[in-house]
Amino acid sequence: MTSKTSPHTLDVQGLRITLPGTARPVLDGVDLHVGAGETVALVGESGSGKTLTSRSALNLLPPGAVVEGAVRVRGEDVLTMNTDQLRALRTGTVSMIFQDPRAALNPLRRIGDFLIESVTLTGSMSRADATARATELLRAVGLDDSALRKYPGQVSGGMLQRVMIAAALMGDPALVLADEPTTALDVTTQAEVIALLAELRARFGTGLLFVTHDLDLAAAISDRVYVMYAGRIAESGPAEALFARPRHPYTSALLASTPRLEAPQGRLTAIDGQPPDLRQELVGCPFAARCHLATEVCDQQAPEPRTAPGRPHHQAACHHSDRLEGSPVDA
Amino acid sequence: MPENVLEAVGLHRTYGSVRAVDDVSFALPEGGSLGIVGESGSGKTTTARIVVGLEQADAGEILVRGQARAARQRGRARRLARAREVQMVFQDPYLSLDPRTSVDQVLRETLRLHFPGTDHDRRVRELLDQVGLGTRAADARPRQLSGGQRQRVAIARALAVEPAVLVLDEAVAALDVSVQAQILNLLADIREETRIGYLFITHDLGVVRCVTDDVIVMRRGRVVEAGPTAEVLAAPRHPYTRLLLESVPRPGWDPEAIAAARRAL
Amino acid sequence: MTAVLTRRPGLAKIRTARSPLHLVCLGFVALVTAAALLAPWLVPYDPNAIDLGNALAGPSPEHLLGVDAAGRDTLSRLLLGARTSLLGPLGVVVFSTVAGVAVGMAAGWRGGWLDSVLSRSTELVFAFPGMLLAILIISVYGEGLLAPVIALSIAYLPYVSRLTRSLVLTERRRPYVSAYQVQGHSALQISLRHILPNIAPVVLAQSTINFGYALMDLAGLSFLGLGVPALTPDWGRMVFDGQTAIQHGYPLSAILPSAFIVLTVVAFNVVGERWADRVARRDR
Repeated sequence: MTSKTSPHTLDVQGLRITLPGTARPVLDGVDLHVGAGETVALVGESGSGKTLTSRSALNLLPPGAVVEGAVRVRGEDVLTMNTDQLRALRTGTVSMIFQDPRAALNPLRRIGDFLIESVTLTGSMSRADATARATELLRAVGLDDSALRKYPGQVSGGMLQRVMIAAALMGDPALVLADEPTTALDVTTQAEVIALLAELRARFGTGLLFVTHDLDLAAAISDRVYVMYAGRIAESGPAEALFARPRHPYTSALLASTPRLEAPQGRLTAIDGQPPDLRQELVGCPFAARCHLATEVCDQQAPEPRTAPGRPHHQAACHHSDRLEGSPVDA
Repeated sequence: MPENVLEAVGLHRTYGSVRAVDDVSFALPEGGSLGIVGESGSGKTTTARIVVGLEQADAGEILVRGQARAARQRGRARRLARAREVQMVFQDPYLSLDPRTSVDQVLRETLRLHFPGTDHDRRVRELLDQVGLGTRAADARPRQLSGGQRQRVAIARALAVEPAVLVLDEAVAALDVSVQAQILNLLADIREETRIGYLFITHDLGVVRCVTDDVIVMRRGRVVEAGPTAEVLAAPRHPYTRLLLESVPRPGWDPEAIAAARRAL
Repeated sequence: MTAVLTRRPGLAKIRTARSPLHLVCLGFVALVTAAALLAPWLVPYDPNAIDLGNALAGPSPEHLLGVDAAGRDTLSRLLLGARTSLLGPLGVVVFSTVAGVAVGMAAGWRGGWLDSVLSRSTELVFAFPGMLLAILIISVYGEGLLAPVIALSIAYLPYVSRLTRSLVLTERRRPYVSAYQVQGHSALQISLRHILPNIAPVVLAQSTINFGYALMDLAGLSFLGLGVPALTPDWGRMVFDGQTAIQHGYPLSAILPSAFIVLTVVAFNVVGERWADRVARRDR
């Protein structure tokens, strides 16, 4: 496994996670990578396994999880790390931005303490250095250093999420995991936070794995997009290609069911039914039951990811990708 | 001009020094659908809560079919009459149902209260059918249902009262996109069948476009723009409405410019 | 604001899942309860029959647990003593729970001046030592089980009402309560039909823990000779009666009831805390 170091910041290969009391793996053969300085979006609905996939980069897995496959951060396998290595990974190499900044912060601690203690507690930085870096980062996210002395309750949600972004950059990480970082924010604030993330990524050269349920947002900000369904990667590829010519019926249905300003008014094309339950075993394609293209083969055989003709980076796990071409959503 | 099923005239509500709702007026025609759009702190939720009676307005009044909606009443008959004017569907389908009450019980409770002595079995089946839930779901506790199914139960519960107006407070915001589309379609069908009026509170302009005829845009407690949905979205007149529209992510989206516009406003 | 049950730190080990201690305690609670219920049919002797010839005798086939200084059979007194010793705390818990829940619900639901009045008056009771209150009431009303039970119920009421109030405050903020209000249900209906069943497990778990404390307090009172009439068999009273015997080198008649008090209190607390933990962890 150590024979060749991977060039990617994050490289997930064949990740399969089984939790106790379920009939099928929560993640089933997930392949995903984030290049250095690249923004990658991971899109899926609740229960698709997108959050679990992103957390695997920190080896933050639920108790009792049985894990197969490999998760490498800058070539080192996270799954086999010991406690000290993991701590170094979590405080330095990889950091995380959570959905609800208010829930992720201790309301009784000042923002400054929160920023500084993450690096001083591990001894990777002196208090003075940490304070200097915190001030610098707060400026970078558009706040002045008076924020250091404030409590989380004294600032707005948008400002707090900027504090979280500053905190994520404290240890100078190679990879930032952002789990729905703007879902709890207003749309105009969301734009501001996204602009900030893009700017900081360019400035600090960090890789960004952006987890979201919003396909439009994913397409707007990322270089590449992975679409997950029921613990598997349904489709992956450059954002524009995925949008303009989706090769998985799930992606195309998701695009069609999003209420949009540009779309014709009236009824939406909803996807009938619900994602498969974890208590139910899956044979064949997980989307078959809700798919209008499904045939017999879909119920019997799980589709392998196949590359789109002429677009080497665009892959979809569908038996009928070719029948879908030409019926894209005009985006 | 059709008669207005719901009308708000000069609503005011302050909390301390904050004007949560500041001179808000709107009208919802019979069988129409009115959207209230705004961000957090815009006063849209407070307005909705004043309409259903969970909050009291400091000034102004709510008219239902031309009749003033009285302040909170103690008497049973008045309370029930008020409930039949306006019903509400809440944002979080996980918290808006009593975890200990099954779907069947939820509906029966309401029917017993409002329509004692009628055939509840048939009505429960009708309601479940109307919101697209099978009779199998009737015995389920909220815990056993998905978010979309729970929201269907909440809608059925509101419809059971046979209200004139249904207030939907971010009713699809907590749902996954594919489920959200199902619920939005369901709401469109129900309006077509029953001619019930919708007051749709949301932050999502795509949703507004999909389910409302008219829209008002609120900011810091005030109405900044009002008009037919198609017109407001196609040719916004207020800079805040324009900012909201531009903030919706889409390909070629420029968050930088939006952030700058927001600061300028 | 979330309601936190009173509990002591450092007991995590014995509280963990599949701990045999919980089963042992549950068994003990069942055993003591059964003994109390069946005592009249189980006792070998009249608990007040005096056999002075055998006074302070050790265990023997006739008197399995010996005889006390007054010549009474210790086993019979222990068994029948379980009745008073458990009945008292039961009364305390039932009364304080019913009244405390009513007060807490009213305060939490109505809020405003009613909340202020109720909260301040329960705090007044808080400030007054429960035992002192009990002694005061007993000295006014004289002997009998009723006076100490009422006194302790009043002393315990604030604990229940404060817990209930904070639970109601959390619960009523849930949207389902608003939903029922919008539907036209009355406040009383919502409180009784929806809020009460949802908070009941937590309150009952706390009451189980209170049971142990009440048992201890009542035993303390009867040790002081307050409350329980002199001849009624009661564990606290037995400890009092047996203390002279200890000086004579016959500790059994005092130690056994002491041991039963301790074990019963511990058992009820473990069962109650385990229950409270399980309720708190339950996904809502």
